[in-house]
Amino acid sequence: MTWIQTLEYRANLYVGLFSILSGILIEYLIWKQIFVARGTELIRGFTLNELVAFIFLSMIVGQLKSSWVTSIEMIEAIRSGGLNKYLIRPISFYTYHLMMFIGQNSLFYMAYFTLIAAFPFIFPGLAFTTNFQIFGFMNALILAVYLSYNMYYMMVCVSFWFHEVRALVIAYNVANIILSGQIIPLRFFPEVYLKIIAFTPLPFLVDFPVSIATGQLPPEFWASKFLIGFCWCLFTWALGKIMYYFGIKQYGGYGA
Amino acid sequence: MSIHVKNISKSFTSFKREAGLKGALQSFLNRKYETFHALQNINLDVDTGEIVGILGENGAGKTTLIKLMVGLLYPSEGSINIDGYTPWNRKNEFLKQISVVMGQKNQLWWDIPASESFLLNQKIYEIPQAEYKKTLEELVQLLNVEDKLNVQVRRLSLGERMKMEIIAALLHKPKFILLDEPTIGLDVISQSKIREFIKFYNEEYNATFLLTSHYMNDIQALCDRVFVIHKGRGLYDGNFSALVNKIKPQKKLIFEFPKAPEEDVIVNLQQNFDFKMIRNVVTAELPDKQLTMLLGSLFKLDDPVTFSVEELPVEDTMKTFFSNPEKFL
Repeated sequence: MTWIQTLEYRANLYVGLFSILSGILIEYLIWKQIFVARGTELIRGFTLNELVAFIFLSMIVGQLKSSWVTSIEMIEAIRSGGLNKYLIRPISFYTYHLMMFIGQNSLFYMAYFTLIAAFPFIFPGLAFTTNFQIFGFMNALILAVYLSYNMYYMMVCVSFWFHEVRALVIAYNVANIILSGQIIPLRFFPEVYLKIIAFTPLPFLVDFPVSIATGQLPPEFWASKFLIGFCWCLFTWALGKIMYYFGIKQYGGYGA
Repeated sequence: MSIHVKNISKSFTSFKREAGLKGALQSFLNRKYETFHALQNINLDVDTGEIVGILGENGAGKTTLIKLMVGLLYPSEGSINIDGYTPWNRKNEFLKQISVVMGQKNQLWWDIPASESFLLNQKIYEIPQAEYKKTLEELVQLLNVEDKLNVQVRRLSLGERMKMEIIAALLHKPKFILLDEPTIGLDVISQSKIREFIKFYNEEYNATFLLTSHYMNDIQALCDRVFVIHKGRGLYDGNFSALVNKIKPQKKLIFEFPKAPEEDVIVNLQQNFDFKMIRNVVTAELPDKQLTMLLGSLFKLDDPVTFSVEELPVEDTMKTFFSNPEKFL
């Protein structure tokens, strides 16, 4: 159904795809100029091609996992009484919107997966060099999408108490783009920051899947990382459930 | 589906502020909260197959009661039991048996045709394909919207949208249906079609309906029983006609003489009955008993050219009632 909804607004779909591709092009041009200006082959262990490949993938993963638009819709539903539509039906607000989010993005997913499929040809030898890497990346991507959705969902639940928290979601989204390594790889950040975010779920949102795909994270570390990522999913899911349980009691069903 | 509402109360906390920038700043720095008691100690029992009208002015608590009954809100106090279910626990088995139509709130998906929303409802309620097809055809025919099924919901007229809302609400054949202002903003033909349809559905499936409406014609046509809420408290629970009689027991008489009787005869009659005489037509609004006596007296004077005894418009009666409900009960 979300495809049908998305296809109702063709222009929006075209513009969405174009804006993402243009973002990737801008990143490429900036980093190319930085390498030329510094006259160096390596920055923090990355060649230009490696860095561009890493950022290219990071942006794609960042886009795929970001459910901020869905979150804004969910907050609006709580604020305006639109949540009623879900509460009176035998469906879960959480699951319904997770499915809607995946559905809404699925056309974009297809476009991105075409790009990812072309990756070995655009950047030969820089990512997806083995089937195991592809398998690892796909699993880490699912984990990132789910974890990210849970984190946004917790913010959605805050609106049961404070009603208007769209600014919080937007602020988180902007911070998340930078702090999860979507624009600049986490390795480029100061040591102190890296030590702090190691205790947060942020590295699992972008850096983890991209590091697997580009071979920056050797396979022997995957299992432990997946386990920690899974624990974060479980923790954020449970916290979201608890917040919803108490939050729904505050719900006023206004506007209807 | 039987409903038992016991000692239900619901309060909301909100903050108050004065208008303007100063008020906004004051409220930002020192917010003053106040508690509003939307419902207080409400008791109501509804039997299977009943259509009960919930009456009250704006802000009386009608919609809050409906929201509590379908589990949208948690009560501050009291309990509701609907066929063994507590609504706010929102068990799937319960949700599959109820439906809500809120005339002022769109429950269909705005950007896609209603037919797509119906398909989604089929999946949500797990309606078998054959049953879904049969029910949809039946509802679409009854409400006469065959040609609108594939039109984007946002492009439908208010009446068409309301019909689609009703179809979406009934596809899973619920046993308990709450209609909150289902005919609001509709033209008289659409109102009447929706009323007929509700009646049909109630008789066909023995479904229980709870209905709020500001159109007294809706209530008169559909509900034998009404529950009146005033300032959050239950004020009356009983027969609608009895309530109307209690408020204004008068009926309207129009009696036309072939030619006007002698003036002194009329003046004499007016000492006993309150009526008007304009040329050769008598009009009076009197209680049943007095009206029968007046009619008898008029017949003694002469045979009428025409005469009629009518009920007073129920809208007017209820307007009188809501101006001061305590006075009548």
